[in-house]
Amino acid sequence: MSALSDKYMRGIPMKPYDMIREGLFILAGVAIVVILLSAVWGFPRIPPLTLKQVAITAPVAFTERTLSYFDGQSGLQTYGPPYTGDRENAQRVGPICPACWTGVAHPTDFRQALVINPLKSAAVLNPDIATALDSYDKATPAQQKAWTDAYGAALGKATAKDGKLILATGDYGPVPTLMNGMLKLAQAGLLEGALVQGANPNYAPYNTDFTLPLYYLGGDRIMGTVADHFDEQGGQWGMSHVAGPYPGAWWLWPYAFLYQIPAIGNADAADLIAGMIIAAFGLILFFLPFVPGLNRLPYIIPVYRLIWRDWYAKYPSGDPTRDPANSGFDSDRGQFPSTKPG
Amino acid sequence: MSIDQRLQSYLKRNLTLEDALPTKMPAYVNSFGYFFGTITLAALAMLFMTGIWMSIFGPAWRHESSLGAFVNAMHFWAVEVFYLAAILHILFKFFTAAWRDGRWRTWLVGWLIFAASIFSGISGTLLQQNWDSQWNAQQGKDAFAALGLGWLNWNDYASLLTLHIAVFALMVALLAAAHLFLIRREGPVRPIVDGGQVRIENEESAR
Repeated sequence: MSALSDKYMRGIPMKPYDMIREGLFILAGVAIVVILLSAVWGFPRIPPLTLKQVAITAPVAFTERTLSYFDGQSGLQTYGPPYTGDRENAQRVGPICPACWTGVAHPTDFRQALVINPLKSAAVLNPDIATALDSYDKATPAQQKAWTDAYGAALGKATAKDGKLILATGDYGPVPTLMNGMLKLAQAGLLEGALVQGANPNYAPYNTDFTLPLYYLGGDRIMGTVADHFDEQGGQWGMSHVAGPYPGAWWLWPYAFLYQIPAIGNADAADLIAGMIIAAFGLILFFLPFVPGLNRLPYIIPVYRLIWRDWYAKYPSGDPTRDPANSGFDSDRGQFPSTKPG
Repeated sequence: MSIDQRLQSYLKRNLTLEDALPTKMPAYVNSFGYFFGTITLAALAMLFMTGIWMSIFGPAWRHESSLGAFVNAMHFWAVEVFYLAAILHILFKFFTAAWRDGRWRTWLVGWLIFAASIFSGISGTLLQQNWDSQWNAQQGKDAFAALGLGWLNWNDYASLLTLHIAVFALMVALLAAAHLFLIRREGPVRPIVDGGQVRIENEESAR
């Protein structure tokens, strides 16, 4: 033993030990448990929701989402850091605004990236879309707004048949052509690809940033419906569990619990408040050895007496140097005598 | 004195072969609770083994082949075992006030491992390529942004994969190595004496 451990263990009875053998036995045990759990329960294999699925099964909801990007009404376009420069929606508690401090790391024009770029790609194949884009660009802002407002109002009452939108007749200008272009692109299964490659055309074969297709459907109506089905909304303990009969990230329960408190869960800065509470809680645990009062809890809650019950049966004070004659510890066999504690 | 000599001297004082590969253990190490740390380490070993296995064959393999899906499931369940054992280990160390006698460093490093593992776990969830990773990418963006972590691009698969299998994995591995070094250097903390009212001489001198 080293000088340090020699000194510390002076007067302590020792018993034979084989660390590597113990480690290998435990590794084998853990491997068996993991294999059995995997064989019986497997793994959540619910595939992601594709834009194609949504565009085919819910064309109205898909188009509403698309229109919100096109007319700039989506939450993403005023999200704030790290995507847009508008800081009004950045979560803050008093002067604390980490999102503001770290800034716009990934500046994104969501109208351009989510709608215009894919439409320009589609326009190469469909001249009607090119004409519609041109007409829209040449119109005055007031005219553009009148078209998108009228189209949005009609969309609220629209129905769908065979994946096609059925709207009331109205003056929507080129907007229906553009929105139908996006719908068809998605229904053909081409929209994810167009979004990913359009984000950085110069590196098209190597693009691996899936931000745009992952955010396209938004967190409320479309994805929220699926999340509701799997009880995965923030108010349903969020990401601390997964879809299906799996335990998930249960170790995040303390974090997920905070969102169940209405004062936190309904707050504009819910994520920041929850994060700050967890950070404070984490710091207390981290520095627990130095927190007066809390570092005495193990003495007040004497679970340690249960853990070391054999030891205290032999050495009631806990210190063998005070009463070595009573120990009866067989250091050759590494065992305590069979007498009962008491 | 050369660096090698200094290192030799340091190891003689702090981690001899008997410390690193002990053949005897204090008699008070006599509870099932002492296994929780080893179970956590074994689960971590399983995570590295299944993770390396999946890295070799790639993302499509773990979805499309039955063996790949099984290894993926093993990775998932090893995480569950890891956290169950880690939390039991932390509770065990709390109730034995295991930070005593200069072992606060081991306690601090343990929490650093836990914190690094949370980031590793979140990045792993986002890499699953299933509904859950898609939903968590959508929901997580608000939390990441609010906490000032939005500068990391959590949706760039190449970046996220590298963080998960290299950066976070290395952080956990290095911190776990430091944790083990401290554990073996200092040995298991002695039982509490007189309900924690007094310190014994050896405890003081070992600090």
